Amino acid sequence: MQKMDLADSNPLRIFAQDAEGNTVDKRMGLIMSRAGLGKTAILVQIALDSILRGNQVLHVSVGQSLDKTRAWYDDILKGIVADLKTEDSNELRELVLRNRLIMTFDEVTFSRPKLEERFNDLVAQDIFRPTCIIIDGFDFANTDQQTVADVKDMADSMGLQIWFSARCHREDDRLSDEGVPAPCHEVGSLFDTVLVIHADKDQPDLSLDVIKDSTGCVKSGKALELDPATYLVK
Amino acid sequence: MSKDLDMVRNIGISAHIDSGKTTLTERILFYTQKIHAIHEVRGKDGVGATMDSMELEKERGITIASAATHCTWKDHEINIIDTPGHVDFTIEVERALRVLDGAVLILCSVGGVQSQSITVNRQMTRYNVPRIAFINKCDRTGANPARVTEQLREKLGLNAVPAQLPIGLEGDLEGVVDLVTMKAVYFDGDNGENIREEEIPANLQDAADASREELLDAASMFSEELMEAVLEGTPTPEMIRDAIRIGTLALELTPVFIGSAYKNKAVQSLLDAVNDYLPCPTEVENIALDLDKDEAEVKVSNDPADPMVALAFKLEDGRYGQLTYVRTYQGTLKKGDSIFNSRTGKKVKVGRLVRMHSDEMEEIDLCGSGDIVALFGVDCASGDTFNSSDTNYSMSSMHIPAPVISLAINPVDNKAQGNMSKALNRFTKEDPTFKTFVDKETNETIISGMGELHLEVYIERMKREYEAEVEVGAPQVSYRETITQRADFDYVHKKQTGGSGQFGRVAGFIEPLEEGEYEFVDKIVGGSIPREFISACDKGFQASIAKGALAGAPVTGVRLTINDGAFHAVDSSDVAFQLAARGAFKQGYLKAKPMLMEPIMKVSAEGPTEFQGAVMGSLNQRRGMILGTAEEGNYTVIDAEVPLSEMFGYSTVLRSLTQGKAEFTMEFAAYRQVPKSVAEEIIKERQKEKK
Repeated sequence: MQKMDLADSNPLRIFAQDAEGNTVDKRMGLIMSRAGLGKTAILVQIALDSILRGNQVLHVSVGQSLDKTRAWYDDILKGIVADLKTEDSNELRELVLRNRLIMTFDEVTFSRPKLEERFNDLVAQDIFRPTCIIIDGFDFANTDQQTVADVKDMADSMGLQIWFSARCHREDDRLSDEGVPAPCHEVGSLFDTVLVIHADKDQPDLSLDVIKDSTGCVKSGKALELDPATYLVK
Repeated sequence: MSKDLDMVRNIGISAHIDSGKTTLTERILFYTQKIHAIHEVRGKDGVGATMDSMELEKERGITIASAATHCTWKDHEINIIDTPGHVDFTIEVERALRVLDGAVLILCSVGGVQSQSITVNRQMTRYNVPRIAFINKCDRTGANPARVTEQLREKLGLNAVPAQLPIGLEGDLEGVVDLVTMKAVYFDGDNGENIREEEIPANLQDAADASREELLDAASMFSEELMEAVLEGTPTPEMIRDAIRIGTLALELTPVFIGSAYKNKAVQSLLDAVNDYLPCPTEVENIALDLDKDEAEVKVSNDPADPMVALAFKLEDGRYGQLTYVRTYQGTLKKGDSIFNSRTGKKVKVGRLVRMHSDEMEEIDLCGSGDIVALFGVDCASGDTFNSSDTNYSMSSMHIPAPVISLAINPVDNKAQGNMSKALNRFTKEDPTFKTFVDKETNETIISGMGELHLEVYIERMKREYEAEVEVGAPQVSYRETITQRADFDYVHKKQTGGSGQFGRVAGFIEPLEEGEYEFVDKIVGGSIPREFISACDKGFQASIAKGALAGAPVTGVRLTINDGAFHAVDSSDVAFQLAARGAFKQGYLKAKPMLMEPIMKVSAEGPTEFQGAVMGSLNQRRGMILGTAEEGNYTVIDAEVPLSEMFGYSTVLRSLTQGKAEFTMEFAAYRQVPKSVAEEIIKERQKEKK
């Protein structure tokens, strides 16, 4: 199976093109859920989709180790390879290795200026030219609106896709007008796409609900299903 | 020795090179009356410091091997390991830390926290070694202990709190203010041996009050008794010491001491601090693996009555044979005892037991738990565990970094050849990071170790101690060749021009082999190649894969199938079919699109974050692929995959790029295709060499 076939069979492809079939380059995306429902898995699938489409991805992990982040990719990739019965798994792994760069930070060290500095460092020295940045573990609870707005500016000016993850809590039921849960309810308007993973005790599968998408790729309210064992989008 | 383990201290002295730790150790030995005169490291008297026992160390003014020594200070038995300060010798530091209970981190008052201090500090954290800091060289121009204390907090993340204040600095250094007793302490006499306590000079009183408050604030976090006493205004020196001790042992407080070993200032106060704040063997938890119980973890007891467990942490080739430094963790080691090496299962007898004072020694009959002594004539490797017959423990394995650099060495004559193997045998036993092997392809002896200086020192030692003069070659990389597609061959070897002729025809195909290096498949039907010549074909192919046609590198990952051929009743022979197979291989190989492969190393470079961009750039320039970075505080680890051929000399580049503050390790990851442009260069070069 060719890598484009792989990309085309990825359910997350719906976020790659708008209704007219144009590729969406710039985007501020957000995946939210309670702890342990698979935010990182979704982010990694988005990253892999981007890589298969020929892009380079910078994966920023706040508070997680390099090995742990790498293990996420290995697991998800293994699942995809097994699902699609592709034989060229080594080639695929190489492709991912070449086009993915993981940066981990401890919670105290990470900041928006630091991210920009690291990004510019990579590009200026022609080490790596990401078009997609994944930021997993960002602390929205202790972040002001301006910081998120700054990141959005960065995404706009550099033509980047930036995807965040955020953890919501059962006891905090605040919602924005658009339906974005806390702690992101005040910054929800800064995102083009917001997805929330839901677990329903009556359903075996998890669902990935599209809370909003202003890029025209997907209609709000659409839900994708997630395999609870592999966290892969069905 | 004293049976009271509370009075034993096993300490290491670790620091950046040139922070003066050898001088400090020398002074400690003088004040504890182990030596009777003071020699300087690079002394004019030509004697050299006592701890630098190897000739080479004396000449270079650096400490290479960690000599262990024993001394007594105010009824406390102190075993000191003087550890090397260069980044290339970290295994020595690591091994020392493994057997130590506490350490003194020495810093230069001018240079402050340097790269090696960062490395050593991390190593100490890895082994949970409680530490106190000593800011040395306060007599030097530019001395600034306050700045160094700040660096301890910022760069090493330690909760560093001054326990002393200097009285004067640089040339005017007179003594220190002890913030626990609130006294000024002066060190009089030619060698600073007379301690005089006075009231704090008036001009320092305010500073001393402020610093004391800081010390009390920090210490009272670890003692409610002290906290209450501070509130009531009645803290006693004992209460303060107890609280500092608790904080230090918990690795949550680092009391900072100051002085100048060279000018004989405040070394005695540091010795007091070792007794007061560093742990005794029973205060440190050491874990052994019970080999009889599937390596279950067992806490060693420290009880001298229990079965004996001791770790050999250092070997030295002394004048009287192999000297093995051991640390006992429980039980008693007696002269005449039979002990087992848990790795080899061999029983050895303890012939002589000595307590070492650098390269002088004191014969003893027994040593109790928690002690560091040396054994004579015991054959073992560094890191082996000894047990009395009742237990089969292995002390948890030490973290041994993989060697990062290799060099080819060739003895200059026959005499050097013999001596070289003796020396290599010894070095590999002494130092687990030093490895040696004979390269089958080049037939050269390859030595590998932790850095260029590491190998240089061994080459020097070979010359000096073993009279083995060697020529050192440039580092070499082992390339491989493989094919990328299937190709047919059909080759006739024919030599029938008078005399006995040769004839053989071999036909078939060559194809890539996914797993494994070489496979031969015989699909001959109808006897087109007679049975007796099939193995000759295999032999011919095997001879061919030893040297590929591209760069003369071994060919791997090929399957050769023969399915047709021809023979001659008289002229066909074993040799003829071997040559036919060689010709067939050559024919098929070039059509199968061969490619050159090179070893790729997994490189992990770590250092202060400020150099992250520069380090990534340097790896990228070396055809490296950056896999990830991990940033924590001011420290960054960069993971990358880089071709080995690009990594030679990188330690030097990295050091100059980062002011010596970054280091790297690497290990073999895989063989991968050499990019076309690079491969062409290598092939051209190899073909030129052939001519």
